[in-house]
Amino acid sequence: MVSEEYRGAKQWSRDKQAVFTVVWISFLSAAIGTMVFFALFDPVDLSGVFDEDLDIGRDAGYAAGFFFFWVLCALASGVTAYLVRTAPKRDAKHRDQ
Amino acid sequence: MNKPHSASMYESEKKIYPREIGGRFDNLSKLATIILLGLFYAVPWFNWDERQAVLFDLPARKFHLIGLTLWPQDFPYLAVLLIILALSLFFFTALAGRLWCGFACPQTVWTEIFIWMEQWTEGTRSQRMKLDKAPWSWNKLRRKGSKQFLWITFSMWTGFTFVGYFTPIRELGAEFLALNVGGWTLFWGLFYGFATYGNAGYMREQVCKYMCPYARFQSAMFDKDTLIISYDEQRGEPRGGRKRSVDHKAAGLGDCIDCQLCVQVCPTGIDIREGLQYECIACAACIDACDSIMDKMDYPRGLVRYTTENALHNKGTRVLRPRMFIYGTILLILIAGLTTSMATRTPIILDVIRDRNALYRELPGDIIENAYTLKVINQNNRARTFAISVAGVEGISLDGISDTVTVDAGSVLSVPVRARAHRDNAYGIMTIQFTVKATDDEDAAVIENSRFLGPTP
Ligand code: SF4
Ligand code: SF4
Repeated sequence: MVSEEYRGAKQWSRDKQAVFTVVWISFLSAAIGTMVFFALFDPVDLSGVFDEDLDIGRDAGYAAGFFFFWVLCALASGVTAYLVRTAPKRDAKHRDQ
Repeated sequence: MNKPHSASMYESEKKIYPREIGGRFDNLSKLATIILLGLFYAVPWFNWDERQAVLFDLPARKFHLIGLTLWPQDFPYLAVLLIILALSLFFFTALAGRLWCGFACPQTVWTEIFIWMEQWTEGTRSQRMKLDKAPWSWNKLRRKGSKQFLWITFSMWTGFTFVGYFTPIRELGAEFLALNVGGWTLFWGLFYGFATYGNAGYMREQVCKYMCPYARFQSAMFDKDTLIISYDEQRGEPRGGRKRSVDHKAAGLGDCIDCQLCVQVCPTGIDIREGLQYECIACAACIDACDSIMDKMDYPRGLVRYTTENALHNKGTRVLRPRMFIYGTILLILIAGLTTSMATRTPIILDVIRDRNALYRELPGDIIENAYTLKVINQNNRARTFAISVAGVEGISLDGISDTVTVDAGSVLSVPVRARAHRDNAYGIMTIQFTVKATDDEDAAVIENSRFLGPTP
């Protein structure tokens, strides 16, 4: 009865749910992380830490920082989601008894 | 559908696409969409004092908010502001449920506008279903093409506006017209535009169902006095089809004619009659749908309505309850604290950076010298002159600057200075204080500590 054609009502597969959720939540976390990090540190000051001659602009610094956080967060939540979803079922049964 | 029903006058309406139903709440949500999105697209174009009124100038590391300029040093304000916003959401959720989801969330408002574009180009739900099933034809291509054209243009404009909060939008506009937008600006514009396109065009309420943390957490903030959208079971059951002329009360039927319209309009595909479900984003489409049926049947409106669990069970709703007081008090304290501290902040910021390359220098005449760079930030809206001094070691003095420095409105001045003291007084690691004082106001001063290094005694 549900209006299936309406995309909002369509059921997503478990894998699709997991992938999109991981991407989205890590995106939000990375946004917060980037904000806090670059409020404390100026990318122009930081670039000298790695390499004296490295002279990237602020724009590129912000972008690099953001993607670094995004990848890191996605890895963390991705691996977590994977482990939770592939945990051996028997364990759960055993614990419950 | 499990029960045939005789009220054939609703047949034609059954093929209705979500939100096409119209009604009070639909109008309200259209209004909210227009106001909120209107603000989003308009705000960057407003100027204040010769510059963009709202500009998060990341390249220059300062935020302009109308008359206020915030620096990275003001980050605590931003952090507190974010906490206030989060708490407000709690407060509001406990009070009014997911009103935010139904009317204010960016996900909802952009989805709404993308649906409008879809309807302009592809027509109503049934027309679209037909179109999707039909083989490719000129008509189909034209309709689908113009939808994509509208969606993509609108997304690009959205991305452009987003970037316009971070780079002066008027200059950006000129660059854009000259097809000369470059580098990261272009990248972020496309990025945001693409995200809008995907989220509002394709993912829609699946974002709410699967990806939104707020959607899963909100039930923890609910209680029996929270405003929710609910079906009045006492009134509606037993449900069933009937002719309009039948006295349903005498026939033992409730007010629900089981037309399924509330289910069909629901963008998340749930049946509100099964009770409160976490998928429900409180869009109120089912209220509009049900009200339209009640009108046709000459029953009173509100079989599905905004209510509270307590009200549904005839218990009376309490708005003022401990939870509201707790959230409210914390919120008030935070807001008061933030405003007073912002109102009384000194409009000068001083950063002292010690020269990293040398510990100290010995000068002829047994003088020890340390080098620093002072960053003096003038947060005022006019240029100011400051006197710089140092204290903390006997006989310490500054060399290499004139007595005063002048800093332009809202800008940073780097002042290299050398502090000198006699070696008898300077040994080991000592703490010194730099003071920057506005010459036009005795009280406008900041003091910042730093280290002064000398030879080991
Ligand atoms: S569920 Fe989440 S994404 Fe959906 S409308 Fe509510 S807050 Fe927005
Ligand atoms: S059940 Fe919730 S999501 Fe569905 S139409 Fe009603 S208010 Fe909207």
